[in-house]
Amino acid sequence: MKKKDIISVIGALIVLVWLSGCEKVIDLKLDNATPQLVIYGGLSDKIDNHLVMISKTYDFTDPNRFNPVSGAKVVVRNEEGVTIEYVEVSNGLYQSPKFRGQSGKKYMLDVTYDGKIYSATSTMPGKVPLDSLTFKDFSFFGKTNTYVAANYVDPKDIQNQYRYILTVKGKIEDDAVSEDRFDDGNKVANVIFYELNDLVRGDTIDVEFQCIDRNVYKYFYSLGQNSGTGGPPVAPANPPSNFNNKALGVFNAYSISRKTVVIK
Amino acid sequence: MPIAKRLVPLLLIILCFCRFSFAQNKFTVSGTVTDSGTGETLIGASVKLLGSITSGTVTNAYGFYSLSVPEGAYKISVSFIGYKTVEHSITISKNLRQNFVLSEDNQLNEVVISAEKRDENVSSPQMGLQKINVREINNVPVLLGERDVLKTLQLLPGIKSAGEGNSGFYVRGGSTDQNLILLDEAPVYNASHLLGFFSTFNSDAIKDVSVYKGGMPAQYGGRLASVLDIKMNDGNRKDYTAEGGIGLISSRLKVEGPIVKDKGSFMVSARRTYLDAFLALSPDSSVSGNTLYFYDVNAKANYQLDDKNTLFLSGYFGRDKLGISEAFGFNWGNSTVTLRWNHLYSDRLFSNTSLIYSNYNYVIQNFMEDNDFEVNSSIKDFNLKQDFEYSLSNRHSLKFGVNAIHHTIAPGKLTASDSSSVNQTTYENRKGYELATYVSDEWAISDRLNLVYGLRISGFSLTGPGNFKAYDEDGNIISTKTYKAGEVVKNYFNLEPRFSASYQIAPSSSLKAAYTRNIQNIHLMSNSTSTSPTDLYIMNSNNVKPEIADQIAAGYFRNFNDNNYEFSAEVYYKWMQNQIEYRSGTDLRGNGNVEADLLYGDGRAYGIELFLKKRFGKFNGWIGYTWSRTQRQFDAINEAKWFYAKQDRTHDISLVGIYKAGPRWTFSSVFVYNTGNAVTYPSGKYQINGRTTFYYTEKNGYRTPDYHRLDVAATLEGKPGKKLQSSWSFGIYNLYNRQNAFSIDFKDNPDDVSKTQVVRTTLFGIIPSVTWNFKF
Repeated sequence: MKKKDIISVIGALIVLVWLSGCEKVIDLKLDNATPQLVIYGGLSDKIDNHLVMISKTYDFTDPNRFNPVSGAKVVVRNEEGVTIEYVEVSNGLYQSPKFRGQSGKKYMLDVTYDGKIYSATSTMPGKVPLDSLTFKDFSFFGKTNTYVAANYVDPKDIQNQYRYILTVKGKIEDDAVSEDRFDDGNKVANVIFYELNDLVRGDTIDVEFQCIDRNVYKYFYSLGQNSGTGGPPVAPANPPSNFNNKALGVFNAYSISRKTVVIK
Repeated sequence: MPIAKRLVPLLLIILCFCRFSFAQNKFTVSGTVTDSGTGETLIGASVKLLGSITSGTVTNAYGFYSLSVPEGAYKISVSFIGYKTVEHSITISKNLRQNFVLSEDNQLNEVVISAEKRDENVSSPQMGLQKINVREINNVPVLLGERDVLKTLQLLPGIKSAGEGNSGFYVRGGSTDQNLILLDEAPVYNASHLLGFFSTFNSDAIKDVSVYKGGMPAQYGGRLASVLDIKMNDGNRKDYTAEGGIGLISSRLKVEGPIVKDKGSFMVSARRTYLDAFLALSPDSSVSGNTLYFYDVNAKANYQLDDKNTLFLSGYFGRDKLGISEAFGFNWGNSTVTLRWNHLYSDRLFSNTSLIYSNYNYVIQNFMEDNDFEVNSSIKDFNLKQDFEYSLSNRHSLKFGVNAIHHTIAPGKLTASDSSSVNQTTYENRKGYELATYVSDEWAISDRLNLVYGLRISGFSLTGPGNFKAYDEDGNIISTKTYKAGEVVKNYFNLEPRFSASYQIAPSSSLKAAYTRNIQNIHLMSNSTSTSPTDLYIMNSNNVKPEIADQIAAGYFRNFNDNNYEFSAEVYYKWMQNQIEYRSGTDLRGNGNVEADLLYGDGRAYGIELFLKKRFGKFNGWIGYTWSRTQRQFDAINEAKWFYAKQDRTHDISLVGIYKAGPRWTFSSVFVYNTGNAVTYPSGKYQINGRTTFYYTEKNGYRTPDYHRLDVAATLEGKPGKKLQSSWSFGIYNLYNRQNAFSIDFKDNPDDVSKTQVVRTTLFGIIPSVTWNFKF
């Protein structure tokens, strides 16, 4: 268990002990803010059609959906001035031609929409491969839960940030980040705190493992804080985006590796 | 030390000032006032001399008084609420030592509401002061029957609870770390057990509680918003007694008695919760192997060497322990030790010297294989205080002194075994000094006009060893400088003027006004929505400046019906500078560069507090109402616009009623209502990687639902006259089962992921409790 998770566990423990705690779905009147531009996407070190998704915020009471923004111009540049244009393949979804990013290189994304340019930069970190996935059991108050752990060897004396996208049975269930502040240079088994109970033979568990830059880490760490999954709950705020002009979202140049296990 | 050099001459000037101005033919009457049954000194007892002139005072924290008057015949009268007044005639022709022993007045109602002299609230120039009689809180209903000084305080106007079941409190727009909490003069850094559900103060061990919301006298300093001054019982000097209680979740025991009869006494009081005893009953080893409890011990001894010298030694030790069997352990707690020496240099000059040690620490242990580690963090203070009280004349009474505190903050030491994936890390300790000197004079300008004015001079030095970084506006490191042990990194020097005045417009009504400046040199790092034992303090540095608050207040005080009813109305306005917030995404844990993530801004708070109290009789209690605003402004937050601080609550009402139905039954009830806290809720949503993400606009632009609750309690005293006296307390918390929001969460509907829902979590519905108390 990581230090940051301990507080959440203690919180859970207190609530468990004080069993009087009670949850109820309520109605709450929320304001409807003016829609805001959201840009999410990036590029990796894998030869691929990389994606950028552009959308707008919508009202809290609306059904959850991707609220696409069409007709934007999306261009990625590297430091040498080489540009790659992303093409809108469906509403709000912009795709690059097949290419691969390079570790240690800085990339700039410019999105031009409605006469305004939204820019962000991200530096692709050196690659750390995901070695394996293992399962771990933890018991809290008589209930045993199974979790998956991502195993890798952290490079010494380099500040690393990692992102884990957990897909269970084809559905994204967790999107978490970590850093090597406490385990620099070590063999690490980072537990992804999503309960993997009730799995049956044939179910697949997939972890996409990204090495991300510091600003991208801060973005996802803050996102986790808002939802209370990244340590003690804080007063929520929009996560610090690497875009200018008040766009929401994040531009991420990352190195990628992936492992999949099938329950036998 | 440059600051010390500046402070010493000032003190010398103060001392010289005290040596002159002896009026001719003036003599001093001085002594102590004690309880006839226990020998405990009485704090705040009124002593009055009536003769050619009238002069009066109240006993200090050690039960000592001193009055200087011209020679002549006087009538001296000593009174304390709940005690029989003593009156006799004396002729003053030389300096007199006169001790008084007061006996409890059983004719008066046992439910005593105030320890002040009957019209002290009107005549004293002090404002913004609330006192709590410990006997009073015994009758106020509380969560799970655990009497709690801090929770009873939260029922007074201007003092607000930090949340459901939380012993943290906000005073006049201040945050929880802006309260100076003193237990026998020792600062207590974490005043809560079990993440805030209980305070660290066991009411059995407490004699006197005073809270200053404004107009702090110059002898107090170090925090912006309030001073909570808690004094422990000294112990019975006459007899050995024991008392205690057995409740639903904890038991308490107090033993006290003389060391040498009428010369010295001791008191030891302890309590422990036994939630873990219930866990142990579980047949499942993964449940029964868990630990969850806290305990605390208060101990005090005093010995009167002669009539000029008394020594006191008091201590507090408390600890919370949490553990999940073989997975991890977590414990935290405070310890304080105070050694005090009361000395009378003369009948007029009372001195108290205190040597104080205070330590708060926490330990986290993780026992999991491949990943084991232990974290240790602490804040440790050594504190030397020298206070003098000098009765200059019947019109002037001086207080002056010096205070030096040495802080050592160990932000964290991470240790792990060789096989662990966690690296050993030690974050640099931080050391600093707080030095202060003060002088204040209470001046009775006329029979109607009273003034307390003073100045506190406070200095702060951050010293090495260590590497100290400077950051730019975005939090990037721009330089690192290394300092040797003891080398000064940064000095701060501040003047804190204090002023308050009262003008008696009629025998039972007065107008008061006050101005105070307070400085805070040590700051709690907490960006979570609730307080946590791992919240860490930092000191001023090259990046962090002292917090400053200026407060003006005015009030109208009026007693009715032979002081039976007390009414007050106070208004205040407070400006705050160098307030601290955090960048979004700040991780405070194990963060060696925490100062990079801090933002600095201003604050303002204003409000009106109304208070009406019925003090005596079969039925008594009070109504408190507060209207207030608390805002903050930071260039990097909320587009630099002012926003409501989380402790902003527009309306806050408390109603407390206590009814003594007969010799054995007492009924009581508490009703509280307050506007919801200022919070940030989403005003829209979007998707990131297919997951619902919320869009926030204005910071703290929403309100949590209004909070209200009614509690009732009944106490049945045993038949009087027995050796073993016992009583039963029955209580019901949240009688009408109001589902108050502890938290509001926004998430996808698990049954229909295309929808988002709002989920309210309630912590405490209706909760009954029973406690059995005994005394022999």
